[in-house]
Amino acid sequence: MSRARRLLGVASCALALLALPLSLAAQSQVAPSADNDQTLRAMRDEMRRSRDRLKLPSQDPPYYLEFRLLDIEQRSIVATFGALLNSTTSRNRFMDVNVRVGDYLLDSSNFISDEGFRGFIGSTGSVGIDGDYDSLRQDLWLATDQAYKESLDQFSRKRAYLMSLARPSDIPDFSRQQPVVLLDPKVAADWTSRDWETEARQVSAALRAFPELYASRVTYHLVHMTYYLLTSEGTEIRVTRSLAAIEAGLDTQADDGMRLHHFYSSYANRPAELPPASAVRKDLDRVGRELLALRASPLATDYVGPVLFEPAATGSLLAQMLGPSVSGARAPLAMGTVFDQIMDRMGGRSEWNGRLNTRVFPAGISLVGDPTQKDFQGQPLLGWFAVDDEGVRAQRVPLVDNGILKNLLMSRRPGADFQQSNGHGRGSYLSEPRAAMANVFFQSSDGKSKEELRKQFADLCRQANREWCVVIRQMDNPALAFQRQDDFSDVIGAVAGGAANGDRLPLLVYRVNVADGREELMRGATLTGMKLRSLRNIAGIGNDYRAFQYMQSQAPGFAGTALSAFGSAQGGVPTSVVAPSLLLEEVEVRGARGEPRRAPLLPAPPLN
Amino acid sequence: MTLQTTRSPLFLSLAITILLAVPTIALPAPQKGAKPERAAKSAVVSAMEQELERSLAALRTADPPAYFINYTVTEQQRAEVQGSNGALLSSQETRTRWLETSVRVGGYELDNTRKVGGRDAGYQASFGTAVPLDDDVPVLRRAIWSETDRQYRGAAEALVKIQTGKEVKVETAEGRAPDFSREQPQIWIGPTAQFQLDRRPWEEKVRIYTRAFHNSPAILNSIVSFNALARNQYQASSEGTRLQFGDLKYRLELFIQGKAPDGMDINRYANFDWIDPADAPSDKAVFARAAELTKEMEALVAAPLVEPYAGPALLTGRAAAVFFHEVFGHRAEGHRQKDINEGQTFARKVGEEIFPTFLSVYDDPTRARSGSEVLLGHYRYDDEGVPAQRVTLVQSGVLKNFLMSRSPLIGFPQSNGHGRRQVGLPPVSRQGNLIVESQRAVSNAKLREMLIEEVKRQGKPFGLLIDDIAGGFTFTGRGAPQAFQINPLVVYRVYADGRPDELVRGVDIVGTPLVSLTKILATGDTPEVFNGYCGAESGSIPVAAVSPAILISEMEIQKKETSTDRPPILPPPGHDPVAERKAQ
Repeated sequence: MSRARRLLGVASCALALLALPLSLAAQSQVAPSADNDQTLRAMRDEMRRSRDRLKLPSQDPPYYLEFRLLDIEQRSIVATFGALLNSTTSRNRFMDVNVRVGDYLLDSSNFISDEGFRGFIGSTGSVGIDGDYDSLRQDLWLATDQAYKESLDQFSRKRAYLMSLARPSDIPDFSRQQPVVLLDPKVAADWTSRDWETEARQVSAALRAFPELYASRVTYHLVHMTYYLLTSEGTEIRVTRSLAAIEAGLDTQADDGMRLHHFYSSYANRPAELPPASAVRKDLDRVGRELLALRASPLATDYVGPVLFEPAATGSLLAQMLGPSVSGARAPLAMGTVFDQIMDRMGGRSEWNGRLNTRVFPAGISLVGDPTQKDFQGQPLLGWFAVDDEGVRAQRVPLVDNGILKNLLMSRRPGADFQQSNGHGRGSYLSEPRAAMANVFFQSSDGKSKEELRKQFADLCRQANREWCVVIRQMDNPALAFQRQDDFSDVIGAVAGGAANGDRLPLLVYRVNVADGREELMRGATLTGMKLRSLRNIAGIGNDYRAFQYMQSQAPGFAGTALSAFGSAQGGVPTSVVAPSLLLEEVEVRGARGEPRRAPLLPAPPLN
Repeated sequence: MTLQTTRSPLFLSLAITILLAVPTIALPAPQKGAKPERAAKSAVVSAMEQELERSLAALRTADPPAYFINYTVTEQQRAEVQGSNGALLSSQETRTRWLETSVRVGGYELDNTRKVGGRDAGYQASFGTAVPLDDDVPVLRRAIWSETDRQYRGAAEALVKIQTGKEVKVETAEGRAPDFSREQPQIWIGPTAQFQLDRRPWEEKVRIYTRAFHNSPAILNSIVSFNALARNQYQASSEGTRLQFGDLKYRLELFIQGKAPDGMDINRYANFDWIDPADAPSDKAVFARAAELTKEMEALVAAPLVEPYAGPALLTGRAAAVFFHEVFGHRAEGHRQKDINEGQTFARKVGEEIFPTFLSVYDDPTRARSGSEVLLGHYRYDDEGVPAQRVTLVQSGVLKNFLMSRSPLIGFPQSNGHGRRQVGLPPVSRQGNLIVESQRAVSNAKLREMLIEEVKRQGKPFGLLIDDIAGGFTFTGRGAPQAFQINPLVVYRVYADGRPDELVRGVDIVGTPLVSLTKILATGDTPEVFNGYCGAESGSIPVAAVSPAILISEMEIQKKETSTDRPPILPPPGHDPVAERKAQ
């Protein structure tokens, strides 16, 4: 190995981010391999062979090849009422090979068809965890072969389909980007510092104090990943990512039969940063008491008037409303409109399509997407990264400036307004990266103190001649609250139908007596008509910024829709929305509806 | 056996069978030779008993009343080590406990499980739920309570639908059988199974085994997996059944994939099953099997494609075992004679000759081994808590019986211990160890001579020797033709003129069961075992089939549907002449 290469290897270990010219020759000279990573070596060698020689006679050769490999270690512990339900440790490696034929303008991607190539092994799969050179080359070889054939097949279908269109889109299929080389030092997972099984038992035992609960579950989920990305353009990425989560869900039923639930979540970038068991127990105790209070609370009635969202609620609300609209990517060409219709119904239609340079928020409000921010007011943010999943450097993107829409989040899939990625291509594990939020900051140049905002809220209520108004402290997340897939599906089924109309699920809704400020919890409320459009009439905004940390769901039907806010550490993409309290002049709150189920025939058995 | 009707805890630790005043057919004798091992009752069973008592009191008087409640907790400890192409893929151990609850409303004659117009009213409201690994009785009870309520509601709704459905009146004779059989409660509190396993030696083994496959360019992909499974079942029912028992299984599987030049996918597979760790296959035995698979793969890739053909065929024991499992065994499952959507091939053929008279077939889950080989379809109690029984299905060619779960047929009112399921699904009648016996057994060498004679007699140029069958599928439903298709993996042409046997590929065996089964001419004299997992409506369950080789006068084969995916464009990285040249 040359001295220059060794030096560069050392430089890259110091987290140097090297942007390289497109020239492949230049790339191969600087590729650092100081730590003798056989995985990287196998990926490079098979990449070179495929790039130089993979071609079927009389067919287009690939113009772009991409190898992705994810080495993932997971520790998952589930406990209920102090008893261990499950405890697993796993280590796996997955690969995904993507081959594009055609060119950047028109290629084999962005096309959905109902049939296609079915190879016998596929372009994705599980690979050896030993870091073994020979077996990885064998796996990459087959996957690349399959991916290439898949793309040829897809491309011919796409071209045939395009022939039937009067005016095919002139938006390119894939953006050209500077290759990036970023080889972080290999970091081993470290979650041995704490006894997670004991913590999960201890923490979940806090809920044993609430015999009214039907069921509850606490999950500790620790993930340590090394992500590799190599492209034929010269990008070489090796980064380590980790995530630590505590998630809890609990449910019960009110005396009138209404099903009620609550949840808790805490996310950190490293296991050591998770709150100690004592703190989580305290929080769960609060959550338990809140759920019992909900159980005893009166039914919500219909209401139209001022609503104050506290910061955590604002964060979740924004996550739901922004999800479908912040992406500037083109829609895939589809063999029919069914796909679009489904996305619309799930609240997946962008409200910001074609709205560039127009007012979307009141003056003074800005929205920034910024994965380069590591923390906010000392709190680590979840949406931090140096490069996105497509190997594009993270960028600060001013989305809305002084109320005017200026930018959209972009992956390498171009759109009508923007053709370059701005480093927001994200996916769960090895799913196809798409433009998605990472860290998002919703800010006002004119944020009020808590007291000022409360006073403005009371004034608005008085002007509207209301005895009481509504405060929302927390929004719901059914993905965390429910332990059973069928219960979750029931709730999602009910809410998904209204997502396009801006139906949102609040969890902690209080009515506040205007005269004396007394708060009373209500149950069964839904918000309706809550779309981005409703934020053009913001009455007031606080300065009590808080980071709402959540897992963006990448599940089919959820990704890119309002429902993407309902994710969990199991496959969700770590995301932070920083937002303050938000006062809206007129929100429609719908009272409790539906037909409550019968109470259990038998009372619950004793829990202690 | 003791006559006893009380559920006094005193008797719970005793391995006894309680007799209620219910008419029964032959009751199984306690397993001969098996030492009845007793053990302490687990906290799981205690939790189930406590909740059972409470639920019964309330749900028996509810509207509609529940007449049967059953709780099953399945505890599984599983270690799995997988390797591929010379590297370790994964290695982990998991433990789970899963609770299933069954609540039946109505009565034994008509209950919520009745299928009306071929549809089931959706009585299974839950697949169950995970319950703690810790023996925490109150937490377990809470889960049982919640599941019981869920299942009761589902069952009550289903019963209302059934009772008000107008189709309930229009029924076939088969449909008039009761919905649930009355069975003897069983009490058996036996020892549970668990293992302590160091996975590291197996991690090294799967690396070495798959590395051996790497040497052949014909093998595109190889996977070897080792599995250890300790499974304990705990059960308590309102009829008084209390069961606790466990078993332990080890398995090693070898799987390789290749491709013929025309794109046809070719797979070879082998498995080793054992129960005693001392019986684990030696490296030598595994390498020998791997070498055979490799040789077969290399030969198959180069073998000519088969042309459609009908003529005599010889199935080796393992191939014949799969053939019987698919073609006969599935049609002998009792519930298929009841469901009006089913073809009911054998429904009205009891007492008739369906096989040549020299053949008898029985299913015997009480058998743990055949010779030195483990039988995967062995169990002590089925998943409805009925003791496993040997059932004679065909005696000297005459159909005698069906495999029965607790869903009775007219004339077959009792279960014979074949109600089985994958955890989470309701049990239906399934096979255990299907065993074929022959009174016209000749040596395998003689059988081959008979094949050649038959080929000559029919004036054919060759016959078929079918050596391995991957499995197949069989249509038992009424909507499809009553046909089966079987995918043999290793098929030779055996020429009448003495030429060496020729391996061919791309073969599917097709046929109709009633015809095929009568064309068996003779059998070999050595029973061979096929151990596998069988998938059907109640999920995937371990089964075995045992058969000697069989000679069939006429078997029809067709060309297999083939893949259009051509072999990889570039040579394997480890066998790339261009790269090797560069390296030099």
